[in-house]
Amino acid sequence: MTLFSESGGITRRQFFKGSGILLVSAVITGIFAKIGFDASAASDEYINKRIAAMYTLDEKMTLRKSHLNPEIAQIYKDFLSPGEVKPLTEKSERLLHTKYGKDIPALIEELKKPHEPGAQPGANHAA
Amino acid sequence: MSAILTEGVIKVEGTCKTCDHCTSVCPTGAITGLLGQKHKIEFKKCLNCGQCLINCPFGRIGEVSMMDQVKAAMKDPNKYVVVQEAPAVRVALGEPFGMPVGTNVKGKMHAALRQLGFKQVYDTEFTADLTIMEEGTELINRVYNAVGAVKDEHAGPLPQFTSCCPAWIRYAEINYPKILPYLSSAKSPQQMFGAVAKTYAAQKLGVDPAKMYVVSVMPCTAKKYECERPEFISSGYKDVDAVITTRELADWIKESGIDFVNLKDEEADKLIGSSTGAATIFGVTGGVMEAALRTAYEILSGQTLPAVEFKSVRGRKPVREASVDIPIKALGGKPLTVNVAIVTGTKYAAPLIEDVLAGRSPYHFIEVMNCPGGCINGGGQPIRHDAY
Repeated sequence: MTLFSESGGITRRQFFKGSGILLVSAVITGIFAKIGFDASAASDEYINKRIAAMYTLDEKMTLRKSHLNPEIAQIYKDFLSPGEVKPLTEKSERLLHTKYGKDIPALIEELKKPHEPGAQPGANHAA
Repeated sequence: MSAILTEGVIKVEGTCKTCDHCTSVCPTGAITGLLGQKHKIEFKKCLNCGQCLINCPFGRIGEVSMMDQVKAAMKDPNKYVVVQEAPAVRVALGEPFGMPVGTNVKGKMHAALRQLGFKQVYDTEFTADLTIMEEGTELINRVYNAVGAVKDEHAGPLPQFTSCCPAWIRYAEINYPKILPYLSSAKSPQQMFGAVAKTYAAQKLGVDPAKMYVVSVMPCTAKKYECERPEFISSGYKDVDAVITTRELADWIKESGIDFVNLKDEEADKLIGSSTGAATIFGVTGGVMEAALRTAYEILSGQTLPAVEFKSVRGRKPVREASVDIPIKALGGKPLTVNVAIVTGTKYAAPLIEDVLAGRSPYHFIEVMNCPGGCINGGGQPIRHDAY
């Protein structure tokens, strides 16, 4: 091997030999990278399968719109907005809504106060 | 105060293999440590989402467990223990029992929970429907207020962001406090469930709410943090007492010797257990948006929706957008183009938030879910070892 000889320059034959080695190693690296890529691409196929399962479940349901759920109508009529189906009443604001960030401490104070005449925290909904 | 609130849910174990894979899946850069160094989670930035946990090739990331509290409550004769399960649990719970990925085990899940001894087996899907009623109405009020159909000074600004995902809420609180007024004030379905279980259900069942103990089965580790947040006491008690993940439920079923695969299907208990297909799709990215559109369309237009499915909001691209023309009854049938966007992966939310804060967002409603693909790929779901 005169590849590293001090006298400099490489022969035509050595140039082809070097290029050949580089080419083959590039091809091999490429093939392995592709195999690796395919392995990771196949690995999240389970996400698609779980997603498909959710949509299939939806399709199988007789009712597919939230406002048509009879138990939803019932909870409004019996409890949240007596006699009617009306979201965002005072009661649903208290039970079903919240606040974020810096508004939380005041919300906690509010929730700890008795909110119905004569009611104590913890016995709020005894009636 | 619960240690979860101060230290978080997710922990890297001392036996970390220092491979550095977790830092590439963390949405907020909360994990410190370079290749070859043991990694640590900085709780100030961590959303508790558990993506690092399900993606650790060596299984060296763990979570805080509430299993002992749940088992103690089950044995306590003074406790009346009820359970709710999130939509995404039912399409993944079969996997640890060798069933093919994507098998629907909704009926078996209800049967197994009954065998484990829960007094009432309800379903988070019921409160997902309730979320649509509250959050959908809130959106309608904001839209009406903005187009001048019905003035409402309490209506929040547009666009409205969804508020079901506890990792997204924590992301917004930490990184963009100014965006918080844009978030829907509706609680997540899990917390709505706790609040109605200890009031409405307790009342109807004749159970003392002080004795009621609410357990959630969630595909999510951030839900453990959510249930500990001090503001969720609107029933007069801690609304949701404990959260276990899909993985923890699978282990519990195995440990109890229940032959899960051969269980007969059972329904959830009535009262707060019925649901619609709109609630089911909460478990997938774009699902809350689609469910909200199905209801909002009918309420805004006063007409029956011609086609139930909004395929344009589906898919797995991290950011998707769609426009839906809705004839507005309150404006004499004048159509309004409602622009929506869906984000899956909180790290993709920042540009949309910046647009909103700069006043140039074209959207009315934006859904953000932290985990890629939605809750079906949450941090509490069965770990897929075939991924490596």
